[in-house]
Amino acid sequence: MSKLQGNTAIQRSEHRFAIITALPGLIALIVLVAGPLLYMFFNSLFIKTLAAPIPPQFNWFGNYGKVLSDSRFWNAFKNTMIIMGVGIPVQAFLGLTIALLLSKPFPGSRVIVAMFLIPVMITPIVSGFQWKIILNQRFGPMNYLLGILIGMEPKSWLAEPFLAMVSILIMDTWQWTPFVTVVLLAGLSAIPKQVYEASSVDGSTMWGTLWRVTLPLLKPMFTLVVLLRIIFIFKIFDPVYILTGGGPGISTETLSLLTYITGFKNFNVGITSTLAVVQLIAMVIIAKLFMKLVMGRKER
Amino acid sequence: MNREMLNRDELARKKRIKMILSIIRFLLIGIFLLIFMFPVYWIAIGAFKVEGEFYNFPPVFWPSQFSFENFERAFTMFNGTKGLVDSLIVAGANTVIVICFGVLLAYSMGRFKTGGDNLSFFVISLLFAPPVISAIPLFMIFRTLSMLDTYRVLYLSYILFNMPFGVWIMKGFFEDIPPGIEHAALLDGYSRWQAFRKYVLPLAVPGIAVTALFVFIFSWNEFLFALIFTRSSVETLTITLSGMIGGHQIHWGELSALSLVAILPGIILTLFFQKYLVRGLTFGAVKG
Repeated sequence: MSKLQGNTAIQRSEHRFAIITALPGLIALIVLVAGPLLYMFFNSLFIKTLAAPIPPQFNWFGNYGKVLSDSRFWNAFKNTMIIMGVGIPVQAFLGLTIALLLSKPFPGSRVIVAMFLIPVMITPIVSGFQWKIILNQRFGPMNYLLGILIGMEPKSWLAEPFLAMVSILIMDTWQWTPFVTVVLLAGLSAIPKQVYEASSVDGSTMWGTLWRVTLPLLKPMFTLVVLLRIIFIFKIFDPVYILTGGGPGISTETLSLLTYITGFKNFNVGITSTLAVVQLIAMVIIAKLFMKLVMGRKER
Repeated sequence: MNREMLNRDELARKKRIKMILSIIRFLLIGIFLLIFMFPVYWIAIGAFKVEGEFYNFPPVFWPSQFSFENFERAFTMFNGTKGLVDSLIVAGANTVIVICFGVLLAYSMGRFKTGGDNLSFFVISLLFAPPVISAIPLFMIFRTLSMLDTYRVLYLSYILFNMPFGVWIMKGFFEDIPPGIEHAALLDGYSRWQAFRKYVLPLAVPGIAVTALFVFIFSWNEFLFALIFTRSSVETLTITLSGMIGGHQIHWGELSALSLVAILPGIILTLFFQKYLVRGLTFGAVKG
């Protein structure tokens, strides 16, 4: 009896402590998030601009209809999807290749892996600058190297819509393939040796082992890395802003870039808020997926 | 006898194949390393080139002499010093706030499952949301409070993405510490707070320190909020850098020099804390 009472007393004090420690951080987050979020949703229902002193006009869900029927929105959506649809498979393939090459440790392999990781932590706008210099039509090393290696004519990388998109894909692949590599490396190192031994006893070839043993066991890591890449590409702003600025025209404009331009070049508060709400909904769905596929698995 | 010879031949053949394969393997690793390091090399080497060498074709892969003029000019004529100081102030202040508040929230979530799945989901959604979403409402609120173009506006707004990150990562570190440690302390008559401070916190220090480094780098690298929320009295390094390509002429040399300064903290973090980097970048999903 007394023991039970003691337990509930401890439980109560634990409970109090849990709340007290959580409060400061929680309040900071809620103040920074809840207010602005409600304000944003509120704004998305109005025709409202900072460009001219016109009073805001209530518009129900008119802005949503306008955004969803706007070809520029779908262009930005398409561009974001292209970066995901082309970039992620390429990065997954390259990342896997490099991970397999590095999977057996050798002297100095840790340093090499660390060096591979440098692009991930480079200041994003600097990676934009780098590629702007490298891809420069007249003085950049890209045209020079491609010229002497495969005899390609100099290309105006950033001035043509198609090549500008290729440039962004090159930049993104450069920056994020190493990330894919290290996640897959972590997955590879978790596969027990016996699995390979069993497979070689069965007489499987190297390819057979890769297809039937390694890749299936890496599937959770692929899920993780693909989801994270989707999330990161959704957010992509700085390097694209620097490298192409969405151009030429709007050929490389992403959703983040469109939101920025609508808000801070055209000062259209109503439409920007609507764009933001739409992206937020998409993001919540992806976050739910992440919780279910990645976090849920871990707990089991 | 014959069979033994055959075996030896077979063995030698296998050994040869193995050797060729490993040569190919290292060759490929070398090529990939070269490709992935090249852009970083190009920025680094650019920092030491003299102006004319940027307009050479074929490009200059190794400057004839190393000049420090770019650094000098970047810091004196191009506001680099202000950029550096302001970045340090903003990133430093933000890191202190995020860690102080974040450690407690992370402990609470990690140990007591405070808020359960809903709070976890809230934190992870914040982590995943594109920052540009919150830019417009925050801009208007900060404008009303006349907080634009101050240090405060940056180190407070960076809480938005750094706090969820810090909390999520540190929560994982606290989960790794066995709860028995606090129970023992509580049985010894320590208060809940003392048990946390004297027993749990010291064990979590390495994790907290690395989280702090991450938070610092994320603030240091931030561009969008700095671009929107500041004008001239506060200017972080990323803004100084973007200003260098604004005018009539791009000052590649100075830009490269300052870029090199900007990426150094990230490179150092990568080289020394590789193990934690994987954990941080996957939001704790891979323990590294």
